[in-house]
Amino acid sequence: MKILVVDDFSTMRRIVRNLLVELGFTNTLIQEAEDGNAALVMLRAQSFDLVVTDWNMPNMTGIELLRAIRADAALKSMPVLMVTAENNRDQIIAAAQSGVNGYVVKPFTAVTLKEKLDKIFERLAAAAG
Amino acid sequence: MSVELDNELLNVFLIEARELLESLGEQLVDLEASPGDAELLNAVFRAFHTVKGGAGFLGLNAMVELCHRAEDLLNEARNGAVVLNPGFMDALLESLDLLNDMMRAADAGVPAEPAPRSVLDRLLIPGRAGSAPPVALSPPTASAPAVSAPSSQRAYDPIEDEFEAMLDAARNDRAPASAPSGTINDDEFEALLDSLYGTGAPGADVGAASAAIPSAAPPVGAASAAIVGAASAAIPAAATPAVAADPNAISDDEFEALLDSLHGTAAPGTMSAAVGADSSAIPPAATAATPVGAASAAIPVATTPTARPAAPTEKRSASTADTTVRVDTFRLDSLVDAAGELVLVRNRLTNLAPRGTNDPMERAIGELERVAEDLQNAVLRMRMQPVGKLFSRFPRIIRDLARQLGKDIELVTEGEDTDIDRTVVEALADPLVHLLRNAVDHGIEMPDVRERAGKSRSGTVRLAAGQFGDRIVITVTDDGKGMDPEILRRKAVEKGLMDEEQAARLDERECYEIVFRPGFSTAAEVSDISGRGVGMDVVKTKIVELGGTLSIDSRVGHGSTVRLSVPLTLAIMRVLMVRVGNRLLSLPLSNVTEVFELVPGQIQELDGRIVASHRQRALPLADLGNWAGAAGKGGHVVVVQIGHQTLGCLVDEVLGREDVMAKPLGPFLKDVPGVAGATITGDGRISLVLDLAGLADDGGQVLPSLRMAV
Repeated sequence: MKILVVDDFSTMRRIVRNLLVELGFTNTLIQEAEDGNAALVMLRAQSFDLVVTDWNMPNMTGIELLRAIRADAALKSMPVLMVTAENNRDQIIAAAQSGVNGYVVKPFTAVTLKEKLDKIFERLAAAAG
Repeated sequence: MSVELDNELLNVFLIEARELLESLGEQLVDLEASPGDAELLNAVFRAFHTVKGGAGFLGLNAMVELCHRAEDLLNEARNGAVVLNPGFMDALLESLDLLNDMMRAADAGVPAEPAPRSVLDRLLIPGRAGSAPPVALSPPTASAPAVSAPSSQRAYDPIEDEFEAMLDAARNDRAPASAPSGTINDDEFEALLDSLYGTGAPGADVGAASAAIPSAAPPVGAASAAIVGAASAAIPAAATPAVAADPNAISDDEFEALLDSLHGTAAPGTMSAAVGADSSAIPPAATAATPVGAASAAIPVATTPTARPAAPTEKRSASTADTTVRVDTFRLDSLVDAAGELVLVRNRLTNLAPRGTNDPMERAIGELERVAEDLQNAVLRMRMQPVGKLFSRFPRIIRDLARQLGKDIELVTEGEDTDIDRTVVEALADPLVHLLRNAVDHGIEMPDVRERAGKSRSGTVRLAAGQFGDRIVITVTDDGKGMDPEILRRKAVEKGLMDEEQAARLDERECYEIVFRPGFSTAAEVSDISGRGVGMDVVKTKIVELGGTLSIDSRVGHGSTVRLSVPLTLAIMRVLMVRVGNRLLSLPLSNVTEVFELVPGQIQELDGRIVASHRQRALPLADLGNWAGAAGKGGHVVVVQIGHQTLGCLVDEVLGREDVMAKPLGPFLKDVPGVAGATITGDGRISLVLDLAGLADDGGQVLPSLRMAV
């Protein structure tokens, strides 16, 4: 499995990485990108199974990244988990409409992250099955 | 997360957050100057936002709360709901200071004091209540199994109950009783996804359903219709009539069509089997309960043409994440040391090598010489930092000072990308702050005074850096009132620093140097900012410690320039190797101006001192041999600049220039004035590295032990 963690703040990338490792994603290759632009380049160059992206980033925000992913024929079914700072209804609806698979509000624990990921994978399984 | 990981995370966070906060100071000052700069406002917002995010994970509640308030205010400013007046700017800058304090506390492992109410309140927009900050995680509970209970998971959602009630109401086919709120919870989100995709997943090939929109769509609620309405511009024509026909009705298929039009995935394909089947399982009211409509009217997504191709803007940022690595400065320093040692060994080998024999050994050593030099340069470059990193602190300081003094001052910086060894950068911070404060406090006049003098009301302080050979020159220039040599002479006599005769003999430049003497202050009234007379002599001492020099130029009525020159790096010293008796001494080349051989009769006596007549001037001589405890005949003179005196040092032999690394002499000999350390020469001998600046006293007078009297 390969996960791309996107955040402009390397501390946050490390936090997400640590939480993922804690959740047992140990055989997982976790890569990092510092904004949407960098993430897109990586997504197009390699194959990933999940994107965990921050919302608020310079150059290309998380929602812009999400839209770019959905607009890309090769990437459009890529599951995307959005990390937000606010439990803001407008934002999350916007993200859902743009095709986000799940969201998680900072700060979160490994358990919360797991719940969110489980939900995403359940939905993916349902869609596939 | 384990405690170890937390500690590691904390350290990473502190480093990264500190960088953010460092530039935040400058950005805030810039923002005050150009409040309309949306890009800048965004950057400032993001800095607070990012710090908050990280602090939340580390349980730094005080930081979360403060950042949250600042972020709220900045967000309102972004939305144009509030203008950041000086009062808000003060509050934001104060918040920045508090955040820095909190970071220090976190670094020291003590819990930070929460920000005082007064500051938090000043970040509030009058008449508006602040939003509740997200509660930070306390690190110990992060891995506690108890957290897995859903109830405690959601403990931080204050309106959870409301939502539960709403959802219950929805399940009972009743309209929600409570008003929609600005937040969303998991169940609502799931319901939202269901309404958007059925039980499918976003991005799955759901096909373009636009051609097959059922005319009698099951009513999902007014809410959903609003989305379509807002987005109708982007909806394929076929879909629009159906919506127009019944604004209150929308089917899942229409949603799919909407999403397809939004996503630009016009790819025709098979319908996801799950979509149609499961969507009916969601009670219509459940969707209605999520007030999608109210929110979506404000969703920019709907109206912006998102179908634009995501151009592969492969900026350089794509690679920086992978090509940058953080290294402990301690490791870096030891690397620099090791490279320095290597250079010493190389020097030795070069000395031992057979010369002119075209021996393989000679060639190998020649190669080593080159490689060692490359290595040393590369290692030194690693430790270099752009001086702009240091400069970025100053706009804030100038701004605060100017505001405090009621002056109007602009700070202009130049040459920010000049690289300096980081040890030098750090050592320059305090001296530069002093110089800038002086320029603001003593240099620049009050706006009215400036106007009367025919100048612009606003003063300018210019901070410029540039590299000249192996030295960095930094100048602090103000267009203020300048310094009057006459007043300086008088002050010097008044303060008992010298007698009148001495004062009268000083040339203009020497007059300016007086300000570097301890206990000298030119300000008529001592302000609490810079006028205690402790500033400039400290500056001088610091710069001299760095092997640097300081000089002042001034024109009455036009302003002053303080020019400081420091070596590019402290690791390597360029020295002139000389022999006095049987001792080898290394004189820093930065102090050496020239070398000449004495001719008979050149030494004379003047005013009770021994001088050499050189270039039509009497050059006072110093007996380095005597000072170094070696007896020499002294056939050569090395002309050096010590303090503001030019002095000729008698030596027996001038061996040449060398790059050396001065090693400290150990605790017992650490504080011997005039000695910087010792180094090993190419032929394995030890040479004292002199700190010539240390041979002058605070007043710039050469130590008596060096003087050659009759």
